[in-house]
Amino acid sequence: MGIADYFKPVDTMTPGEVRQFLDRHKPDDYNLVDVRQPKEYERGHIPGSRLIPVAELPGRLAELDPKKPTIAY
Amino acid sequence: MEGGMHAWQGLTAAGAPEAGMSFFTVGSLPEELIALAWTLEDGSRKFYASLAVTLADNEAAKLFTELTTAEEHHKATLLGLYRDVAAAEPGTDFPRGIITADEDRMEGGVKVSEALEWAKGRDAFALLELSMALETDSYDLYIKMGRRVEGEKAKTVFARLVEEEKGHLGRMAALLDRDL
Repeated sequence: MGIADYFKPVDTMTPGEVRQFLDRHKPDDYNLVDVRQPKEYERGHIPGSRLIPVAELPGRLAELDPKKPTIAY
Repeated sequence: MEGGMHAWQGLTAAGAPEAGMSFFTVGSLPEELIALAWTLEDGSRKFYASLAVTLADNEAAKLFTELTTAEEHHKATLLGLYRDVAAAEPGTDFPRGIITADEDRMEGGVKVSEALEWAKGRDAFALLELSMALETDSYDLYIKMGRRVEGEKAKTVFARLVEEEKGHLGRMAALLDRDL
């Protein structure tokens, strides 16, 4: 099997789709995660997002509710 | 979310080559997964080695040199695991015959040549961001592989690789913070 066969596209949302999703749902209905560095988060982030830098994500997955949809950026 | 915070703010995303692809085990044999991991490590090694010699940023170049060595160690680890799992010596042309590659590829199936082309003229910050995405993919890959293989030894090897990828992520994040 070729290497490329092991990889498939992952579903992603455009910023417009995310805005629409956030408009239609309450903050408690989803996990919105900012995986950038803390200083980037401080400069600006999507309202309601939770900061979990990608390097910390493996150890902090328990902070996300697996029953809710998760949007990461 | 496509394009990350830049796109949210209405800015054009830089379009890094890793975007939007993820590894799926597709019912492969453990030997195939190990060969795949070895190939991707080799691709990453080539990418990091190139960055190590072209980056003007000494601190970043030093990190990429260390990562090049780390990928070599991962390749050796995976080769040892292949011997155990397949109960045979890998062929001299390993991993050919097990998986096929049109050209060098790294995590996410990204072609090394495309990543290097993208990297031209970009600063250490952009390259670290791309590399962190690659290491995150690696982390994900080894967790999935650890679930697929049987035997305590194989699971221990993948658990160690997971921890090492996590360590790489932490070091890259620290360097990224320097430039923020």
